[in-house]
Amino acid sequence: MSDPDKARRRRRPRVRAVAAAAALTLVAPMAAACGSGGDGGTPTINLYYPPEQNLQKVVDDCNAQAQGRYKIVYRVLPRQADDQRVQMVRRLAAQDTGMDVLGLDVTWTQEFASADWIREWTGQDRAEVEQGTLAGPLETARYSDKLYGAPKNTNVQLLWYRKDLVPQPPKTWDQMISAAQELKQQGKPYRVLTMGAQYEGLVVLYNTLAESAGGKILSDDGKQAVMDAGTVRALEQLQRFATSGVTSPSFSNATEDPVRLEFQSGDGAFQVNWPFVYPAMQEADPELAKKVGWARVPGVDENTPSKVTIGGINMAVSAYSKHPEESFEAARCIRNEKNQKFSAVNDGVPPTIEKVYDDPEMAEAYPMKDTILEELKEPAVRPLTPAYQSISTVMSAILSPPSAIRPEQTADELRDAIADALESKGVLP
Amino acid sequence: MADTTTRAKLRWGLLDAIVVVFALVPVLWIMSLSFKTPATLTDGKFIPQEWTLDNYRTIFQTDQFVRALVNSIGIALIATVIAVVLGAMAAYAISRLDFPGKRLLVGVSLLIAMFPQVSLVSPLFEIERQLGLFDTWPGLILPYITFALPLAIYTLSAFFKQIPWDLEKAAKMDGATQAQAFRRVIAPLAAPGLFTTAILVFIFCWNDFLFAITLTSTERARTVPVALSFFTGESQFEDPTGAICAAAVVITIPIILFVLFFQRRIVSGLTSGAVKG
Amino acid sequence: MSVNATPAGAEVAAEETADRATAPTRRAGRGRKAPLSENKRAERRLGWLLCAPAALVMLLVTAYPIIYSVWLSLQRYDLRFPAEREFVGLENYVTVLTNEFWWTAFGVTALITVVTVAVELVLGMGLALIMHRTLVGRGLVRTSALIPYGIVTVVAAFSWRYAWTPGTGYLANLFSDGAPLTERASSLAIIMLAEIWKTTPFMALLLMAGLALVPEDLLKAASTDGATSWQRFTKVMLPVMKPAILVALLFRTLDAFRVFDNIFVLTAGGNETSSVSMLAYNNLIRGLNLGIGSTMSVLIFLAVAIIAFVFVKLFGTAAPGSDDGERR
Repeated sequence: MSDPDKARRRRRPRVRAVAAAAALTLVAPMAAACGSGGDGGTPTINLYYPPEQNLQKVVDDCNAQAQGRYKIVYRVLPRQADDQRVQMVRRLAAQDTGMDVLGLDVTWTQEFASADWIREWTGQDRAEVEQGTLAGPLETARYSDKLYGAPKNTNVQLLWYRKDLVPQPPKTWDQMISAAQELKQQGKPYRVLTMGAQYEGLVVLYNTLAESAGGKILSDDGKQAVMDAGTVRALEQLQRFATSGVTSPSFSNATEDPVRLEFQSGDGAFQVNWPFVYPAMQEADPELAKKVGWARVPGVDENTPSKVTIGGINMAVSAYSKHPEESFEAARCIRNEKNQKFSAVNDGVPPTIEKVYDDPEMAEAYPMKDTILEELKEPAVRPLTPAYQSISTVMSAILSPPSAIRPEQTADELRDAIADALESKGVLP
Repeated sequence: MADTTTRAKLRWGLLDAIVVVFALVPVLWIMSLSFKTPATLTDGKFIPQEWTLDNYRTIFQTDQFVRALVNSIGIALIATVIAVVLGAMAAYAISRLDFPGKRLLVGVSLLIAMFPQVSLVSPLFEIERQLGLFDTWPGLILPYITFALPLAIYTLSAFFKQIPWDLEKAAKMDGATQAQAFRRVIAPLAAPGLFTTAILVFIFCWNDFLFAITLTSTERARTVPVALSFFTGESQFEDPTGAICAAAVVITIPIILFVLFFQRRIVSGLTSGAVKG
Repeated sequence: MSVNATPAGAEVAAEETADRATAPTRRAGRGRKAPLSENKRAERRLGWLLCAPAALVMLLVTAYPIIYSVWLSLQRYDLRFPAEREFVGLENYVTVLTNEFWWTAFGVTALITVVTVAVELVLGMGLALIMHRTLVGRGLVRTSALIPYGIVTVVAAFSWRYAWTPGTGYLANLFSDGAPLTERASSLAIIMLAEIWKTTPFMALLLMAGLALVPEDLLKAASTDGATSWQRFTKVMLPVMKPAILVALLFRTLDAFRVFDNIFVLTAGGNETSSVSMLAYNNLIRGLNLGIGSTMSVLIFLAVAIIAFVFVKLFGTAAPGSDDGERR
């Protein structure tokens, strides 16, 4: 231990390690600087977008069109929506200049705009985005009367039903419940399958019911919790559905894919779910797919058509982007008519530009396009507020499990919790 | 008599075996997963039926992992060097010099060793954002030094107290200069203590997750433990289990080497203060 | 991660004992010289100079932020509403302390702390005895035991996660037909298992340090007096080890209270398995709510301070920094 020679020999590598470490500190900032794309030559536009299988082809197409004015690089965000948001949020909070164009879930647009993380769309860019874009998706991209996003694709759930069991699709949830109860008595497949787990999917369902019943969760300016009579009726409807004996036993735990699989297994007569279930069913069980029809999601009142919650993605430009002009141009290119059609046909994401639905190619890839368009023209938008993330979290917690809803009391609880969230007093679990 | 010792040995051997199995199984399991092919990944078997190195090839080809590894090594090394140097200075003063405020320093270090790090997360996030330290190497090195310092100070002062400092005087009497005396006599005596402390501090920095996940956002400063939880699969439908396991094994290698070669040192470093007052 | 900082505590006890033992003699020795001689002043200056950098860094990175977080906790400060930042007094504290999620997380944290520390004490004592007294393979046992101590917590957590994932894992297939990590009780049990696996060796090392103080001849004497091994353990070993046990308990308790890594990887706080650390992280990073996040930071700090205070009060002289006897 105390042999000085040994000690000296041992000391050397340590000196070298220190030198290496020092060298690394010097190199690190340089390496980082290179990452964000030099100013000389073609600017690199970093596109942060959720995974979409054929988006790279769209990006290639836009790069070709740009003719060297910019080069888009597609950086794939994580799969889970929550992870996508957290990743973007942390980087924007740190004023990261390495992000240029962002693919935001429709419910985050107001949050990012309010935090001054994304740029307003103005002038020619804005005019072009507003031209021919469906009103519902466009509304999700606005915050305090300004436009902050360019809707790239939208999404909306449909009612899928077994044509061999149900001659006419039901118009209301209550009709659907009684139809299912009847099927149950006859010993036929009867279940009504949809998402009821404690997550965003439950909020989507409740929002559809509330808007269909003419209810208001928030005031029009998004600053006050309202929870009026309509929303209470929606709670009654949700509770009635959950306790009617026609749901799946795993309703309060169900998310999109398990719902699809349960319907595919033949247990369900009805399914309320996103359009992705159809191509999946055609592939997994073509026989069953032939027996399945689609219709507008049922409403709450017989004579008032339903309003169905829309999803989708808005393109936004980061406030810290060093190349805002090119970024707006790139974002516009990715969501232009031609590319929206490409994405709809190849990745199955519903377009936001109305004209695209008339394209003959769409009819084949999208047999249910008319129903989708019909729903999109009278959509239900989720509450537009920067605090949506907190509101959604507390709403799904309070609404879960749906069978335990006590309408009046639950509405009061929701109103208080939403009011807290709007005042930054909401605690996330 | 001989019989009882054999029996006692057997009994201890059995207990040893239980400890070894208990300690190693999770490590072996993640190694096993890292060598499995995607097809056999979900077979639930403890030993891979088909072996592959593909997972390792994959991670070393992704920028995500390589950058994180460089960050991990760089940040841990720099923090270790600084913490050991600062800690050695303070420990020398504590063990050799008499000055007011010494007990206070010892007390403060004790407090910091017990400090709930999560309490610093919110303010540090905000402070580093304003100073531009967020998502940089110094932004992580600073808190690491802070929480490694108590460890360094205590371990080192326990070691320093054992050094026969009179030797230094003796060397000088024999005609050595101050510098020579330090280099030839004191430094070799202090080196093992410094080395042990460095290992402990390095393990500490290498291990951190909370600071790394809150104070970084990109490959610029993200360390491997955090990068692991941000891995995305090859395609949208594939979980990156194999890659996570391979990366996990890679960052476990230094720990295993330390433990294998310096077991005695680590144990004595961790227990020295308690044993040798 | 914080596991590694704790040995310092064990040493502090010894440190201060030693301090007290040597200081009077030194002071007495110096007393003969003129007070504040040139030499002494130089020594003081050198002492301060050498300690200054370490002290400065430690204060800068802990004291200042904690004061700053008290300031932040008195404000409405939400990155999503930057324009509405304002002073709100204790409102955030009312919000957090009347919130169900906070108390659920607090309960989870308390449960994990109590259960893991209790189990670790028993297992750690066993492991310490094995490491200390085994007749065969001492090096092997010590080396293996150090692996859980040294391994990155996140790595171990992933190993447990995959082991308990249906399909992938050997444990899930062995013990259950559901998905244990999607239910509350089983998730909590797995989190605790992962914590215990990781930190028992550390507990054992601290206890082993105490075990080394037990005089061998005392044990032999007890043995010849006909004491059983259990009697030898309770009557001879435990009393000598008491200070080491208390130090180990204090540090593991405070450390367990900070549990974060394992929960993050194993359940991400799903099914009401969030600890207070997890909750603070979520409100800060997912919620971007600096006001609420800082309030939680301050509350956690207070909780830890109270635990430390109670330990010191309850165990009085045996707590770190105040034990004098037995060490030498």
